[in-house]
Amino acid sequence: MNKRSFHKLTPRSIRAWQWGSAFGNLFFFGLPVAYGAVFGVDNFHLWIVSAIAGIVFTYWLLSIVWIPYLRWKYWRYSVDENEIDLIRGVLIRTETLIPINRVQHVDTRQGPLLRWYNLSTVTISTAATTHEIPALDTVIADRVRSQISTHARLAEDDV
Amino acid sequence: MFEVKYQPTPGWQKMMFEFQRQHPIAALTRAFGLIRGNLVTILVFLVVGAQREEFPFLWWIGGGFLLLLIIGIAGWWRFLYRIEEGELQIKSGIFVRKNLFLTKDRIQVIDISSGVIQRIFGLVKVDIQTAGSTSRAASLEAVTKSKANEINRILRRNGSEKLEEFEQETDQNNRKIFSLPGKDLIIAASTSGRFGIALSILGTLFSQVEPLISDSEIFEFFFEMLPSQTDTFLVFSIIIVFVVVAWLISFFSTLLMYGDFNVEVKDDELVISRGIFEKKRITIPYKRIQAIYVNEGLLRQPLGYGSVHLESAGYGDDKGTGSIVLFPLISQAKISKLLHEILPSYDITINGYRPPVRAARRYIFRSAFLLTVVTAGLYWLLFSSNWIWLLSILSIGWGWLKYKDAAVAWNKDTLILRNRTLSKSTSIVKRDRIQDVSISESWIQRFRNLCTLQVYVASGDHGKSFVVQDMEREEVFELLKELQKNNYSLKTDGLINERPIPRVKIPAWPEQNPALSST
Repeated sequence: MNKRSFHKLTPRSIRAWQWGSAFGNLFFFGLPVAYGAVFGVDNFHLWIVSAIAGIVFTYWLLSIVWIPYLRWKYWRYSVDENEIDLIRGVLIRTETLIPINRVQHVDTRQGPLLRWYNLSTVTISTAATTHEIPALDTVIADRVRSQISTHARLAEDDV
Repeated sequence: MFEVKYQPTPGWQKMMFEFQRQHPIAALTRAFGLIRGNLVTILVFLVVGAQREEFPFLWWIGGGFLLLLIIGIAGWWRFLYRIEEGELQIKSGIFVRKNLFLTKDRIQVIDISSGVIQRIFGLVKVDIQTAGSTSRAASLEAVTKSKANEINRILRRNGSEKLEEFEQETDQNNRKIFSLPGKDLIIAASTSGRFGIALSILGTLFSQVEPLISDSEIFEFFFEMLPSQTDTFLVFSIIIVFVVVAWLISFFSTLLMYGDFNVEVKDDELVISRGIFEKKRITIPYKRIQAIYVNEGLLRQPLGYGSVHLESAGYGDDKGTGSIVLFPLISQAKISKLLHEILPSYDITINGYRPPVRAARRYIFRSAFLLTVVTAGLYWLLFSSNWIWLLSILSIGWGWLKYKDAAVAWNKDTLILRNRTLSKSTSIVKRDRIQDVSISESWIQRFRNLCTLQVYVASGDHGKSFVVQDMEREEVFELLKELQKNNYSLKTDGLINERPIPRVKIPAWPEQNPALSST
């Protein structure tokens, strides 16, 4: 079997994810607030509220400082004329193989945060599932997209 | 734009090339369709409505039905169709107009069926599927039989002008019909797993009726009648009554659903028809079949029965999933024979792997943990009976069964996965139907050198996945390599390695005992 070359995501994606989780995970601070609003904050409940708040704060901090880096570290992808191979995951590591002739369409998309960092997400859809390669440099993302669609077209001609 | 040649026809009857409405009954079926589709929302509204004093309950129901009927009539009025030069043209939509033009070459299947309402008025429903991946492309809710036949004749593939009568097609050659014997239907109904649905319906009903009953004198009367009034006794008797009623509901609903079940095997498609009051007819071209799976329910497996299902791309039931019941109940000894007759390439037994022994405790832990937590919660909140801990002992046995049944096998064109949630399920997937393959390892699995395999196939508008957990890592990666080597297709370039230790043969349906096969 030929050796395949894996690529990593653009390192800038770490920054984008950091900002993303810094704002996105603020939502979890609603949990202790809601608990306090329902049960009050006197003696016994105070402990529970502060425990929840502590856990949420730790998670929030980790999701900014450490998790984006780990996510980037374990993400890799490879695209060739036969298949797309995605390896990712921090706690649960997942490898997904998508035969190229099953690809129905490929898109790139970009939210405001990714646009700020000039990044794009490549979305790969088959008849059953949708996978994405998050946060690639926009130029690379466009290249990957056209690469996949070219391979997919050629593979279909084969069949 | 369109050249129209008029022919003398009765004034009220329009020719196929003129825009026309469906039969007015379509308004009614549409209204009922809306009710069925939004049952949950309607129930919620009813619950809210019942709380208010100033609005009587019946007004709510009557008003709601009137509204739906108006929507139905408007929908019927604004729905126009015609067939022009082999092209079906539909204009629909009350406010937003939608034009749908379907050419004859794109139409794959035309299904003619009839629901309860259609049958009362002697009408039929026409469903039209195209080759695309979207589900039923067009449907005419209610048209007369002669019109349906005409549509079928004009739009039939290959443009064959051969007139095919509804349900009395003339070509008898090359067709096999399998039907469900009455005895099997009764077994299917009494062991059907439709308990859950029935229970949830009962629960909703009970919560509605309960305030009415508890105020009435009947309830107090019953309380006097009951011999011993311990709380546990009351709770248990209520549970038993619920289960019995739920079982009855599931029994009769299955009876109605799968009564008169037939599978008809044609040259290039399967036709499945079922239902006593509401006739359902589904046509599945062979090339749409993505996978076959056999379910052996908890009650059915010990009796030696299972049900056969198939996954079809694009078209399935109304909910958009592509799972279709191929045979609602069959003795395990006959599965192989049935598959051989209907889909020969799926009748196959190959050597495969089971998860290693060290995975057993993970299976048991996973099943037992959640149930034990739930049990503990119940023990604390409701019962103080120690018998409830039986549940968590059962869950250990459940985990063991899950471990015992998990298996994966593959050869050069087929992948077979077997697993169990509650019922044991054996899935047979052709390799060129696999959409993608995922292998995942959590950090504990990585530590134990295990991994989880997940295979996706297309089904309905989405996909369906088959999972086997905690397999030996090397074996699954070997599978992955094989898939890659042959590029997921059936074109094999070289021999598949014969694996040295075949641990298990799956699915290995039991051989048919000649003494028993007389039924």
